[in-house]
Amino acid sequence: MNKKLVHTPEGVRDIYGEEKAKKTIVERFLQEKIHCFGYLDIQTPTFEFFDVFSKEVGTTPSKELYKFFDKEGNTLVLRPDFTPSVARCAAKYFTDENVPIRLCYQGNTFTNTSELQGKLKEVTQMGAELIGDDSIQADAEMIALTIEALYHAGLSDFQISVGNLEYFKGICEEAGLDEETELELREFISGKNYFGAEELLERVGVNKKDKELLLRVSDLFGSVNILEDAKNAVSNKRSRHAIERLEKVYQTLCSYGVEKYVSFDLGMLSKYNYYTGIIFRGYTYGVGDAIVKGGRYDKLLSQFGKEAAAIGFVIVVDDLLAAMGRQNVMITGIEEPVKLYYTENDFPEKLMEAKGMRASGKRVELLHE
Amino acid sequence: MSEEKYLTFALGKGRLANKTMDLLEKIGITCEEMKDKASRKLIFVNEELKLRFFLAKGPDVPTYVEYGAADIGVVGKDTIMEENRRVYEVLDLGYGKCRMCVCGPKSARELLQHHEMIRVASKYPNIAKDYFYNKKHQTVDIIKLNGSVELGPIVELSDVIVDIVETGSTLKENGLVVLEEICPLSARMIVNQVSMQMEPERIKRLIGELREHL
Repeated sequence: MNKKLVHTPEGVRDIYGEEKAKKTIVERFLQEKIHCFGYLDIQTPTFEFFDVFSKEVGTTPSKELYKFFDKEGNTLVLRPDFTPSVARCAAKYFTDENVPIRLCYQGNTFTNTSELQGKLKEVTQMGAELIGDDSIQADAEMIALTIEALYHAGLSDFQISVGNLEYFKGICEEAGLDEETELELREFISGKNYFGAEELLERVGVNKKDKELLLRVSDLFGSVNILEDAKNAVSNKRSRHAIERLEKVYQTLCSYGVEKYVSFDLGMLSKYNYYTGIIFRGYTYGVGDAIVKGGRYDKLLSQFGKEAAAIGFVIVVDDLLAAMGRQNVMITGIEEPVKLYYTENDFPEKLMEAKGMRASGKRVELLHE
Repeated sequence: MSEEKYLTFALGKGRLANKTMDLLEKIGITCEEMKDKASRKLIFVNEELKLRFFLAKGPDVPTYVEYGAADIGVVGKDTIMEENRRVYEVLDLGYGKCRMCVCGPKSARELLQHHEMIRVASKYPNIAKDYFYNKKHQTVDIIKLNGSVELGPIVELSDVIVDIVETGSTLKENGLVVLEEICPLSARMIVNQVSMQMEPERIKRLIGELREHL
């Protein structure tokens, strides 16, 4: 064995044996559920032109992308996530389609995050996108599907936290914040950094009433009861609409019967301009980050030339498996192959036997005695 | 459900940890085990309130919290900035106050006025880099040191240093002055993102009570 050749680079790894068997099963469960909701598989290339994942479109900073050149000198990028690719596809192949399009995907994504030790650079993602439907039912379907898929995969202790960017934006608009301040504030609020936000608002000189409203946003998370408080606190239309939307989505989720997994966080504000309305994340014990990320991105498709609302989510399969492992969730359905031993003399008979078993779907391993 | 799980605190070793325990005591959270200085235990438990505490080296606290090994951490702002981990930064605890500064001999003041290339020694390469590149737009060479950074300009390893200044007496004794202030620092409470979402009531209550006592 060449000892130098057996290593893998930092951030990527081999998955084999029982672990891979478990991963395959979990992926199958997730996929089954997504298919049950009528989503059709789509496969996009592993690498694409840089512009597909550029600053205006993507969620990953340019310096975290794996980039390389083709023979003509175009910059190519290993996909850091699927949504821009799927949006590009939808714009290209369903240009004139007016009915909702349901697409789902699965595959590996790549981010070059060198300083975050312990984070994998290649992870498997599975997700779904619902394009051309801006209804409350579409929002609820996405969240319900996420919950049902996670539950189907065997996870039972998790929370989907739902927010609506419009609430925060409405208050910012009312307070007359400029774009730069809003972006800075977003970072503080999404980091639940109350005092950082306070300092910023004092520096900018926002009036007392608006300041209190904005600061409250970082505290508005928890059960459905916070929606009432949030609504009563504001008077501007945009923010009130945002809460009304969340209330209706919640009612729909109650009809799905999944409300016990749902909580709200109005301070959840994505750093990127990619999401436009409802956003949600899935959290569970055992991993430090969200295992599901999703939301509405009504403007993204127009970057590719199609005006269509869209909402989607992605499950980070590797993180889900890590969480299930730490929570000791049993993953059932791993089949060990039956071992059949043969000698030179009885091979034809054993082979017949193996063929029969294989025909009935059994796993059989033929071994020399 | 929420009461069954332990909430784990990671505290930066030293003064910060003691002050934090004093503060927690004010809101009725104590840990008798921790007061026993002879103890060799690494982790301390308050069974009644379902809390666990452990002490860690400062720069490791954000790491424990990011990965959820601890739900809550208390550590200096300097460490949070340097480590740049994905955690919620929820409270300014107000103690451990000091400043992050660019320091050097008086003669070095001139070097900061232009965009010329200078050498900067620091224990905090990320903070130094962020300040010079993104705020001052000055290209610099950063030299990472692990302690006694003040030596840098004295032995001419670097032109200036980026370091924490509390009283300024070490600087003074070595003929250095504060040239520019980067930002004020103090102890902060950080929370793991997942813990915050999974146990919102419990953690919110804790933050609320602490905020009242500050």
